[in-house]
Amino acid sequence: MKHKDVRRHTTLAVATTATLALTLAACSSGGSTDTSSDGGGGGGGGEATEVTVWASVDQPVLDGLQEGSNNLTEGSNITIKWEKVENINQLIMTKLGAADAPDIALIPQPGVVADVVSRNGAFPLDDVVDKAALESSMVPGTLESGTVDGQLYGLLVSMNVKGLVFYNKPAWDAAGYGTPATIDELNALTEQIKADGNVPWCMGIESDTATGWPATDWFEVLISKYGGADQYNQWVSHDILFDSPLVREAAAEFETLAFTDGNVFGGRNAIAATNFGTAGNPMFDAAGPKCWMLQQGSFITGFFPEETKADLDTNVGLFGFPPATAGGDNPVVGGGDLAIMLNEDQATKDAMAILANGAIGEPAAPGSSFISPHKDFNMELYPNQVTKDVAQVAYDSTAFLFDGSDQMPGEVGAGTFWSDMTSWIAGSQDLDTTLTNIDSSWPN
Amino acid sequence: MLLKSGTVLVTVAIGIAGAIALFWALNKLAELLPSKWEHRLKPYLLILPAYLAISLYLLYPTIVTVINSFKDRTSDQWVGFTNYADLFTDKAFQSTLFNTVLWVIIVPAVTIIVGLAVAALTDRLPSKSEKFVKTMIFVPMAISMVGAATVWRFVYAYQPAGETQTGLLNAVWTSGGAEPVPWLNTSTFRLNTLLLMVILLWAQVGYAMVLLSAAIKSVPAETLEAARVDGAEERQVFFSVILPQIKGTIIAVGVTVTIGVMKIFDIVYTNTNGQFNTNVLANDFINELTTNFNYGAASAIVVILMIAVIPIMIYQVRNFKEQEAAA
Repeated sequence: MKHKDVRRHTTLAVATTATLALTLAACSSGGSTDTSSDGGGGGGGGEATEVTVWASVDQPVLDGLQEGSNNLTEGSNITIKWEKVENINQLIMTKLGAADAPDIALIPQPGVVADVVSRNGAFPLDDVVDKAALESSMVPGTLESGTVDGQLYGLLVSMNVKGLVFYNKPAWDAAGYGTPATIDELNALTEQIKADGNVPWCMGIESDTATGWPATDWFEVLISKYGGADQYNQWVSHDILFDSPLVREAAAEFETLAFTDGNVFGGRNAIAATNFGTAGNPMFDAAGPKCWMLQQGSFITGFFPEETKADLDTNVGLFGFPPATAGGDNPVVGGGDLAIMLNEDQATKDAMAILANGAIGEPAAPGSSFISPHKDFNMELYPNQVTKDVAQVAYDSTAFLFDGSDQMPGEVGAGTFWSDMTSWIAGSQDLDTTLTNIDSSWPN
Repeated sequence: MLLKSGTVLVTVAIGIAGAIALFWALNKLAELLPSKWEHRLKPYLLILPAYLAISLYLLYPTIVTVINSFKDRTSDQWVGFTNYADLFTDKAFQSTLFNTVLWVIIVPAVTIIVGLAVAALTDRLPSKSEKFVKTMIFVPMAISMVGAATVWRFVYAYQPAGETQTGLLNAVWTSGGAEPVPWLNTSTFRLNTLLLMVILLWAQVGYAMVLLSAAIKSVPAETLEAARVDGAEERQVFFSVILPQIKGTIIAVGVTVTIGVMKIFDIVYTNTNGQFNTNVLANDFINELTTNFNYGAASAIVVILMIAVIPIMIYQVRNFKEQEAAA
């Protein structure tokens, strides 16, 4: 018996070793881009302490922010080193407390910021940045989006905006259409375009395995406009159900715009089968727009046809999705990157103060999709009128709200909210079933 | 890149050297025993590493999965049969089960019928044409399932009426003046599920054809001649003489395809991700695991799948044994 045991152990050991070797090989080739990271500042000695910032933003934005922080740290005793990493949301959770964690990380989701805080991974910024000054200089709501349990942990550094309505500018101007000031006016405009013999809306929610997410954007925009920031946040945390007057009001408006005969290019059937990226292309058809308006986020201009992109300002116009009542609550839905502090030393705090300075984005703005969350940002730096208009929509808003579906549990935010909305829009399921399905899928 | 390839090569070298050393050591160990015992124990010693590997990579995960299917979404607390009860009372999951059953009934049957038809018909062609036809049918086997699914996604593509139809099917469909149809969104009579099945059939009929063709060719010519001399028609020759003799191969192909179909995932994921009433068990499992992080539900789905596969495997093993005995 003993003999046998020994043998078995040896074999197991060999097997385990082989497995380990394979796993290690897989890990080492798994590509960590941070081998050059030296674990960040905190040493104190030397002339300039280096503070490491990790972000998953696009390279041009990152390069711009690096240049911006170089400008701002010149002559001081710190340097800021920006590093691009993939999937920061997952990565940062595994790096918490590890020796090679960065000093600062740019997190694109408030939910993840809250997760990091709940694991005692981040330090509050209330005494690190000038909150009172930021309160007035930043887009309203941006500080709230980084606040956990009453303390500021995440500071918005860059942003993008959703709920924008794009149109074909030359055709739009020739037809003499204006910018609607309320949702009612938008409905009237829709009717008018139809009366002129045209199709008002381009719509597509198909997105491969993620089909349905553009529909959730529609709902987020409508719910934010009808309910305002507070009710929006209650809806995101499921304190307001999907089967509620607020969501039904949003659904009714969506139904009016999208399901009315002749309102959508290709009809209701086409919505779920049309890709979100190409949905706007018929707007720029050489023979004139086949559909006239597209509701999407600021990123969509990158998906427009090459000829359109070649001269964006001439070809494309936009307005922010109008509020429910003119002059009333007018929040804007969007996304952005929240800087969190993972290290408590003075150098990191100094770096955080620099990240809070709107000027850090100045070199980034002209050559990238960067939009500053600071209202006093120099608008002239944005590369074109389209970007200026997008930024203006955000700066004019009464509250900045993070994308709701991103903050919901996966079952809902990347599950039933997508799929049941898609079924409803495709006409294979009624609204009652849709709303109850989404509600019942919410994990307890 | 060079470093990565280097790491891989070194790892492979270590793995192979380790395996050789292991078997050499086991062999030596057996030789230490008295000759009688050496012969008795050697086979067991030599299959021991494989058995241990199977235990480590198959048995252990299986047991943990079964255990987790009785725990909550984070595998912390026992919840009894809750995961199973939730699944079977969920309308969406019932639809998923129904779709999976459709796949399991339709795909293996059609695969065998088409494979058999092609094998039997090409058998009568001149050798060159036979090779050509069989190669053409077998080629899709060389494409990965995700690749095949993506290719067919283009075939089923839809553009609103008035736009140029880029999808082959809609281009043909609208050429007669009909309105374009969003094929993959149309779940009337499970049309979209049937269209997805076409992809799998296209991809693997070649497999069935090759095996069945080999089986048909191995049917002794004397039996065919004898039947013909006795006045049998060609149809009778096929159904009464050839079919009974290749029954074993048909069953083997059917079982393999069935088990493959039960686990079908890539085609559905790539095309619809289970939306529009096309969900199947394996796709539901992936979504529970990687989107919802609900380990309880994901484990329960796998256990259901496993239980469903077991009878088929038992049948296959029995059939295999019968054939062995007959041979």
